[in-house]
Amino acid sequence: MVHALEEIQRVLKPNGVLIDLRPLESNWKVEVVSASGWQTCGSLSDLPQGVADDEAANQATSEVERRGLFIKEKEEMFDYFYYWDTPSEMKEFIESEWEDFEKLEDAVYRKTRSAWVSAGADARVRVRVQMLITKWISGKMNKNTVWMENENQNLT
Amino acid sequence: MSLQKDPENKESKTLNRFADVANQTILEVGCGEGRLTWKYAKHAKQVFAFDHDHDALRIARADCPIDLHKQIHFANASARYIPFSKEKFDIAILAWSL
Repeated sequence: MVHALEEIQRVLKPNGVLIDLRPLESNWKVEVVSASGWQTCGSLSDLPQGVADDEAANQATSEVERRGLFIKEKEEMFDYFYYWDTPSEMKEFIESEWEDFEKLEDAVYRKTRSAWVSAGADARVRVRVQMLITKWISGKMNKNTVWMENENQNLT
Repeated sequence: MSLQKDPENKESKTLNRFADVANQTILEVGCGEGRLTWKYAKHAKQVFAFDHDHDALRIARADCPIDLHKQIHFANASARYIPFSKEKFDIAILAWSL
């Protein structure tokens, strides 16, 4: 990941902008939504792979920031929703598409089904994902400077 | 399947607040099937979107709106080696790919 960020910095113009937009693998809420409002039925369980990917991404951005390759200008979190018509469609999607990083526990699924049935004909289910967006400005430090910094660290 | 992603368009609205893509040369790393690309590309000068997934790129090329064909260039590449010379882009977007 650090090498990819170095590559991006290389092809960006001086003071170019890097936008890092990604979901945070933590506390994805399962909700039932209808015309009368919405209710939370529980959270998906984070699997080790998803947590490790998040940590690796955070470490990589911290590393390039420390080295001056990028300067953080601003950061924000916002909600991103996946909607399905029925709980079973949601379950099928989670088990096929998110199998490596999120798990829908049986208890959360049962609670969602029950809430969806009582919520009325227009009810749908959704997963609320927390997104992180960060704006970085390309720093002035070039690759030679980084190389010299690494060499100096090796000498000490 | 009835899946609907981000019907409120929060993602592209937030992206637009963070980066003014108007008339800019954009690099999108990990464009996938182009879901986000279509939402900002019409305002950009040029977009170079790449991904290492051949199947996703095939879908992106097939789904690319006709009015964006001249603006968007897709390539199969990895972020470990970006096949462009230095200082080419105004904005780089890492969309769900770090």
